Amino acid sequence: MIPLARLLAKRLATSLIVLIGVSMLIFAIARIIPGDPARIALGPNATAEQIADLRAELHLDDNIAVQYGYFIADVARGDLGISLYTNRPVTADIALYLPATLELVLVAGLMMVCIGLPLGIWSARWRGRAADNIIRLISLLGVSAPSFVWAVILMLLFAFYLPLFPIAGRISDSYAISPVTGFLLIDTLLKGDIRAFGNAAWHIVLPAFALALSGIGQAARLTRANMVETYEKPYIEMAQSYGFPARRIANHYAFRPSLIPSLTIIGLDFAAMLGNAFLVEAIFAWPGLSRYGVAVILRKDLNAIVGTVLIISATFLLVNIIVDLLIAFLNPRIRYSQRPA
Amino acid sequence: MSAPTLDIENLKLGFKGYTGYTEVLHGISLSVNPGERVALVGESGSGKSVTARIVLGLLQELRAARIEGRVRFEGQDLDSLNRRERHALRGKAMSMIFQDPTSSLNPVFRIGDQFHDVLRRADPRITRDAALGRAASILAEVSVRDAVRVLNAFPFQLSGGLNQRVMIAMALANEPALLIADEPGTALDVTVQAQTLHLMRKLVEDHHTAVLFISHNLGVVREFADQIYVIYKGRIVEQGPTEAVFDGPRHPYTRALMAAVPRLTGGGIPDIDENSPDFGAPLETHEREGRQ
Repeated sequence: MIPLARLLAKRLATSLIVLIGVSMLIFAIARIIPGDPARIALGPNATAEQIADLRAELHLDDNIAVQYGYFIADVARGDLGISLYTNRPVTADIALYLPATLELVLVAGLMMVCIGLPLGIWSARWRGRAADNIIRLISLLGVSAPSFVWAVILMLLFAFYLPLFPIAGRISDSYAISPVTGFLLIDTLLKGDIRAFGNAAWHIVLPAFALALSGIGQAARLTRANMVETYEKPYIEMAQSYGFPARRIANHYAFRPSLIPSLTIIGLDFAAMLGNAFLVEAIFAWPGLSRYGVAVILRKDLNAIVGTVLIISATFLLVNIIVDLLIAFLNPRIRYSQRPA
Repeated sequence: MSAPTLDIENLKLGFKGYTGYTEVLHGISLSVNPGERVALVGESGSGKSVTARIVLGLLQELRAARIEGRVRFEGQDLDSLNRRERHALRGKAMSMIFQDPTSSLNPVFRIGDQFHDVLRRADPRITRDAALGRAASILAEVSVRDAVRVLNAFPFQLSGGLNQRVMIAMALANEPALLIADEPGTALDVTVQAQTLHLMRKLVEDHHTAVLFISHNLGVVREFADQIYVIYKGRIVEQGPTEAVFDGPRHPYTRALMAAVPRLTGGGIPDIDENSPDFGAPLETHEREGRQ
């Protein structure tokens, strides 16, 4: 499919431009926020000489444009520098923490799609009936509180008062899983340890659900709204007049044309979850990138800040590209036109 | 003579709204015999389309609608059927053609897949390949030569005229006893409309399908229909064989409707009262006994 490939190339090119812009911005902001990174890293007992040495080593006394030049040259080699907080390469730190966050966000995204969209479809199909009203109430509840509030409420309800789920962490300490991909749900399966997989899955349910809840509500509400509008279209009346089964009309004829706006919002929500994950990670003691990100910002760990932000931006852009491609795939008018509409 | 394909007797329809009860149809009677082409003619808002939707059973699903009177389909009272039995008629024993073919086909599914769903109404186990083959042969009947391309296309890739032929082919695919055509092709330009109507007429003649043809276009009606019913504000004001009605319209509203047809010779549209009391005259309200 040539138009799809062209669309992909175009999106990749614009994403690269966005990434370069983001890197410049965060590079500058990290250096503008007050505080001397060398002094913070070396601690209160460091001598002026030690600080001057570290500043020289980090090129902190050079012009900011020159510093950016060093940075870009390193990035091109896949080197994001050494973290002053952990004393390890930033890439290693990110490789350690990113999978936990991605795992959480991916599971939450899956919940958003697999729960939010069907709720929206049912709601639209039974519009005006009791089922619709109940679903609308639930989704309104979902969107009206931020994920960290839900995290606390869910934790209290289902881990404390009613201990159905573990209260924190990614997996029980009794399981020793050596990281291969860093995704516990995958690593446990690779090891063939079903019990450990179950344990990891059991741990991820509450934090992922807390993270997904507002997205579920939003996906359901938007899908319902779009589908209710679609139900007024002549092609739905035609499907009804031909006696197509009501379920097929709902799941195919009305859902598919309404999916595109929902998908855009799901993509945005999905990306926003990368940020929201921080508070949820903090509440559930989830060892993810967001916690690392805040720790390095507080330490003014320049390399780590820039690296973390770049990785999150890249993930955000990737999700957007995937959503764009999905939309193009679902909408034949885009798929078959030379210029994306 | 066998039972009429469609027999409507004293049909009333009203809607319950916030402002109270509004009656839309005040007692309509009409019948369509097997293989007969009957036109229901009237201006916008006269109740043509709701009549069609009652026959299909679509309005009955609305909670605000109140329907009285009797609708018989092939001798069977539709009120005596349960939901499932009513549903079984749709798309199989009766089908419908809509005003705008392009917006009546789902924009994100290929024509072939939509055709498959239509054919599945008569044969739930038909495979996609078998459905496409059958669709191609029906499309050939409406003079679509490159059926493979058409079935593989999305509606926006085809012209309005081609979509209209697809609609006609779909409507007749399951050999229904009754075809309801709600202002077919009004959204198309006049020459294309004439072409597709010609095809439709040939097809319903070949298949001996009864047609309830809803239109405001008198020229088209004269070409197409055997019988004509003129509807005004929810009442049938005049009925009869097409030629008789055109040659000697008896009701003031029918005469006004005919005077409103634009003429090639020019002269503009005559000044017609929006709401003459004459139009409400009960001249032909229940003329059905005189027919047959």
